[in-house]
Amino acid sequence: MPPIAKFNTLERERTFQNPSDKSFQTPALQEMVAPHIEAFNALMEFGVGKKTGLLDLALQDIGSKSVFDKKDGGLGNKLSFWVDELTLSKPTLSDKERNSTTRQIYPTEARERLNSYKGKLQAKLAWRVNDGPVVVETRDLGQVPIMIRSNRCNLEGAYPKELIKHHEESEEFGGYFLVNGIEKLIRLLIVPRRNHVIALIRSSFTNRGPTYSSYGTAIRCTRPDQTSQTNTVHYLTDGGSMLRFAWRKQEYLVPTMLILKALIDTSDKEIFDSVMLGDLQNTFLTDRVELMLRSFKTYNLHTRKQCLAYLGEKFRVVMNFPEDFTDVEVGEGILNKIVLVHLKNNRDKFNLLIFMIRKVYALVAGECSPDNPDSPQHQEVLLGGHLYGSIIKEKIEDWLNGIKAQITQDVRRKVAGVDFLNNQYFTKTLLKTSGLQDIGQKMSYFLATGNLVSNTGLDLQQATGYTIVAEKLNFYRFLAHFRCIHRGSFFAELKTTTVRKLLPEAWGFLCPVHTPDGSPCGLLNHLSHTCKVITQPADVSRLPNILASLGVSQTLVPARGQKTVVVQLDGRIVGYCSSDEAKKVADALRHYKVSGAHQGAIPLDVELGYVPVSHGGQYPGLYIFSTPARMMRPVRYLANGKTDMVGSFEQVYMEIACMDDEIRPGESTHQELAPTSMLSIIANLTPFSDFNQSPRNMYQCQMGKQAMGTPATALKYRTDNKMYRLQTGQTPIVRPALHNTYGMDGFPNGMNAVVAVISYTGYDMEDAMILNKSSHERGFGYGTIYKSEIVDLGDLRIRGEAVLHHFGMGLDAPRSWREKLDKDGLPCIGVTLKEGDPICAYIDDTTGKTMIKKYKGMEDGIVDEVRLLGSDNGDSELQKIHIKLRITRSPIIGDKFSSRHGQKGVCSQKWPSVDMPFSESGIQPDVIINPHAFPSRMTIGMFVESLAGKSGALHGIAQDATPFTYNETFTAADYFGDQLKAAGYNYHGNEPMYSGITGEEFKVDIYLGVVYYQRLRHMVSDKYQVRTTGPVHNLTMQPVKGRKRAGGIRFGEMERDSLLAHGVSYLLQDRLMNCSDYSICNICTKCGSITSPISTHAVSSLSNVREIECRACQTSTGIDQVAIPYVFRYLATELMSMGIKVTLKTQP
Amino acid sequence: MDMYNNGGPEVSIRSLKKDSMKFVLTNTDLSVANALRRIMIAEVPTMAIDMVEIETNSTVLTDEFIAHRLGMIPLTSFDVDRIQYTRDCTCSHYCPNCSVELHLHVKVTVDYEEMNDPNVDKTRQVTSMDLISVDDSVRPVSDDKLHPILIVKMRPGQELKLKCVAKKGVAKEHAKWSPVYGVAFEYDPYNKLRHSHYWIEEDEKLEWGVSANAAEETPVDPNEPFDYNAKPEKFYIELETSGCMKPEDVVLRAMTIMQDKLGGLQIKLDDEFKEDTQRWGY
Repeated sequence: MPPIAKFNTLERERTFQNPSDKSFQTPALQEMVAPHIEAFNALMEFGVGKKTGLLDLALQDIGSKSVFDKKDGGLGNKLSFWVDELTLSKPTLSDKERNSTTRQIYPTEARERLNSYKGKLQAKLAWRVNDGPVVVETRDLGQVPIMIRSNRCNLEGAYPKELIKHHEESEEFGGYFLVNGIEKLIRLLIVPRRNHVIALIRSSFTNRGPTYSSYGTAIRCTRPDQTSQTNTVHYLTDGGSMLRFAWRKQEYLVPTMLILKALIDTSDKEIFDSVMLGDLQNTFLTDRVELMLRSFKTYNLHTRKQCLAYLGEKFRVVMNFPEDFTDVEVGEGILNKIVLVHLKNNRDKFNLLIFMIRKVYALVAGECSPDNPDSPQHQEVLLGGHLYGSIIKEKIEDWLNGIKAQITQDVRRKVAGVDFLNNQYFTKTLLKTSGLQDIGQKMSYFLATGNLVSNTGLDLQQATGYTIVAEKLNFYRFLAHFRCIHRGSFFAELKTTTVRKLLPEAWGFLCPVHTPDGSPCGLLNHLSHTCKVITQPADVSRLPNILASLGVSQTLVPARGQKTVVVQLDGRIVGYCSSDEAKKVADALRHYKVSGAHQGAIPLDVELGYVPVSHGGQYPGLYIFSTPARMMRPVRYLANGKTDMVGSFEQVYMEIACMDDEIRPGESTHQELAPTSMLSIIANLTPFSDFNQSPRNMYQCQMGKQAMGTPATALKYRTDNKMYRLQTGQTPIVRPALHNTYGMDGFPNGMNAVVAVISYTGYDMEDAMILNKSSHERGFGYGTIYKSEIVDLGDLRIRGEAVLHHFGMGLDAPRSWREKLDKDGLPCIGVTLKEGDPICAYIDDTTGKTMIKKYKGMEDGIVDEVRLLGSDNGDSELQKIHIKLRITRSPIIGDKFSSRHGQKGVCSQKWPSVDMPFSESGIQPDVIINPHAFPSRMTIGMFVESLAGKSGALHGIAQDATPFTYNETFTAADYFGDQLKAAGYNYHGNEPMYSGITGEEFKVDIYLGVVYYQRLRHMVSDKYQVRTTGPVHNLTMQPVKGRKRAGGIRFGEMERDSLLAHGVSYLLQDRLMNCSDYSICNICTKCGSITSPISTHAVSSLSNVREIECRACQTSTGIDQVAIPYVFRYLATELMSMGIKVTLKTQP
Repeated sequence: MDMYNNGGPEVSIRSLKKDSMKFVLTNTDLSVANALRRIMIAEVPTMAIDMVEIETNSTVLTDEFIAHRLGMIPLTSFDVDRIQYTRDCTCSHYCPNCSVELHLHVKVTVDYEEMNDPNVDKTRQVTSMDLISVDDSVRPVSDDKLHPILIVKMRPGQELKLKCVAKKGVAKEHAKWSPVYGVAFEYDPYNKLRHSHYWIEEDEKLEWGVSANAAEETPVDPNEPFDYNAKPEKFYIELETSGCMKPEDVVLRAMTIMQDKLGGLQIKLDDEFKEDTQRWGY
């Protein structure tokens, strides 16, 4: 039996009338945006105990900056300054506002006033001179946009009742920002997995210089504040290796040996031993390590101090450390800031660097394969909140560096008044650098444009495209925005398609169906609906002890006969064991993890990536991850039936069965919770998608997001630029399980239509569909568009001038204006505006006259709402209004509709209902589609939906349409066939039908059922383009292009070719000349020029007719007139200007 | 032919209810039966709200949407013959001869205590019962006072005030004027005439149910030869009205309309023939 679907109408109505103040009706929606909100919350609350936030960690990493005043010849006094604390407050009114009692600002205000939802960012800037007292001053860093429903939003923790009170959706889930009234979202981005060494073979590596090979290992290290730094070890053909890193967008290469020796006091023997790991028989390795050690001798650096000093000397300028740092200190600074930054301990860094070297040697020797950076196994997610924090961090560092640069400049230029001991000097400097101080404005710019303005590049591959508008076209689209994940715009330009491939590793994490076709295909993916993105680090403090107890040795113990593999925890080498042991350890940890043994020492979110030893496969080891930003998903652990979380790294080597019959005893450890887990939310909402040909499901994922539906329930409080609304939306009879889980009934996206599959009257050919005129008259598919018109009188004002324009209507206003506008100059609610009608009136003080703004839209709009937008402090005159216009869009011929199976079609005819075919019971279809729409597309799901919809409508029940419910032994056709039979209908959903015109029974029975139809937003009213004559381009005299300018449709080269091929020369001439830039032109038949004839003196004083004369021939005898395209004249003149003569040969 | 011998078409009523009717039409041609069906659906005039003048609307539904909903409300049209089509009327805009006015004015007021009581349902359902007609013969269909037609739901403070003008019309123009919701139509339930070909996967009995109308006819005798000259004779028609008029009235009016049409056609043809005779002498 399939699961029972329910409409839950009464329950929904009850919660709608009495919204809860304790729980959400659809908690799944809140979970869906969790990655966004939690990542933003992490800025303030991060890690175990959540006492510090990412911003605090960022401040720690920035540290203090110092400058010297160079007094008395030496360095002089030292002024150090740093940011002690950052506070981001919830959005409140400014202190200048005096009228309000509640000081909080709620998102709806920002939305309706077309403002940004921002909170104040303040920094405690501290400074001291030498070792003097610390001075602390609180500085305002501007207003930073706040994520809705985050822990800095006034709606944090609000439940439906309160949300409705604040004019939000009852199930508002937030996760976006409000910038200038637009809902903006930081898109999830795929980045390389952090703290994990991957082996790469890239031919571009050889371009780094001579002896560079194409082999390398790379690691993207992440600091505690979630900023990252990539280190790459290059293998040189002479056996050596180089460490490459980028610092402030500049690349540097340093011998790995130098770094190794600078990290700890070590000896060549130690390095040799740790690389060899006891594998002394491996001559390939010994040779290379020897070469590496030997080649470093040329540097003549022996101790750690020497190495650090050498590094420091080379990088002193680049690193911009305080001037009083010694070379050694600078060297240490580099190791801290750049080399393997996820590790604090130099010994750990040393070990991991050795590991990188070993891995690259293994890669060169062919012992291990390169890792695929396009595979989700080696990927994680760049979360919006983390990126946001990184940008704030960088901007603060820029600010501090700016202060430093300013003071350094003052000192260098010996500006008067440079006095470190005087606090006023420092505060004055702060004023000079105030441009860098407004971080709020910079963050607003980032969100508004998606452009990353950065000196460091933040270890990211792109500078643009980080944010998207969370369009509320309909609920599907809005949801999809929060689940979409992009590969990076860098990959969009790649010519190879490998990055776009759907890899088996993506199973369960990225939806295989929900990706657009066309240029972003495979790059813009969507998270599967059960996939979670971890946002907090797991507490693994007790893990090393457990590992030790399981037999992982801290130091290397060479195992006899067996290969020793490494055990890593978040990129830190915690020990070694034999590969067999590693498997046992991994299994034991898994069991501890799921069963919660050791008092839950291993949280569920920990990923236990065991890579077995293989010949030429992935480099073996046990890699444990506990860091945030990983993709994890729930599966059932078969050993105890509990839910386990599985990550994309470990999944590759796990045995996860999907269906019950796929469990292999002794091998399968896990099972999917449901076969639909791999699909995204939107893909899950396609009914019976398992019956369809796969591309059709992709199309539906696109079209579901283009349907005219219900964008929001709080429509009254929205000011979107354009909103589409379906007035007569219905809940689908046939619905997958997730339809209710995600509360889709709150936002209907289409209507149930009686659909007949029949070729009738020919108007349903080629994907056209026939609508029943009576259905249309009864409201089928009736839609509305809401458009915003904003009038800002402030635009008319010159800066600094007083307010000279006031909304209102003077006595001089003509009567016609008063029909549309009220006395206050604002349009009346409910009035219909036509093109050219006044939309509002204002009085201009300089002239004293009443002026109007005109409505420019081509379609009639009805004034729905008028919103008066005041200033932030509520103390200035009204200058800005927002008018919401309602444009009715009843379906007309040419509008686009689609079922939920990628079957789109254009309405081609609306037949009167008497002419429509009808069944014996008198049922007439709302929609007729052609049978030819099916054979090639194989959308069997639509047939099944039709069956299910019909039986559901007959029995008055909702039908479950969850994919993978039916199979060969339990077929959907039989299940619904029986239901139909029970209702007295044909088992297969066919019915004898009669022609509405003759009343005669059709030769064959017709497939008639109920299918949920979506009305798509593409409507002819927005697209039709027609022109007889109209505006022309003034240089070429050819018709202009563009629908908005009443332009023509290009009759292009290929169209020309086809006319030529047909030999229809008159038609050709008609299109290309007569209807385009036909012109009559004077020509001198003597010299053949069309440029030389000019008009000279008038023929007589009584007329305007002038004599035409050829300038070249000095006579008017040869002048004649020819019809030529105007552009040809233009061409002749252009050529003339280059000194090229155009001669035409004429014949009478 | 049989039908002429027996004195024309016959109607036998199988069931007659307040708003539905079943009958069998015999002794006539398919075209006549279908014409009757088409006329019942699209050409029997009824009354429906055609114009709405909205004075106040502070409800959640838009003006045009409420107007559309009002239009769909069936109005009693027993007396529709008394009313003229507006286009035929002598008045300039509309007048009592060609229209009926209906008024609606609802304002939801709740006192303070009620307002704050969560147990009181403050939603006011504005229904077809709130439409007050100036003419008692044309009013919203409402035999069942418990289930009137919902127009809009209102909350305290909202107001809806409007004037509707109901006019006479036919469903050819707009579906709201249709007196019927559905007309079932069937002939030859055993498919003896072989007009159709039923799709069968395995077993016809299991896959195809037998129509209820089949009881009126004799089952197919497999030994009987196929009569390719046979024509459909019995038409099983069932109609369900919107309540605006009695089902038998719908049928009778439809027949009258058909008669009128044929009569008109005959007169026109006669005139033509007369003209031809005068002109050509034959």
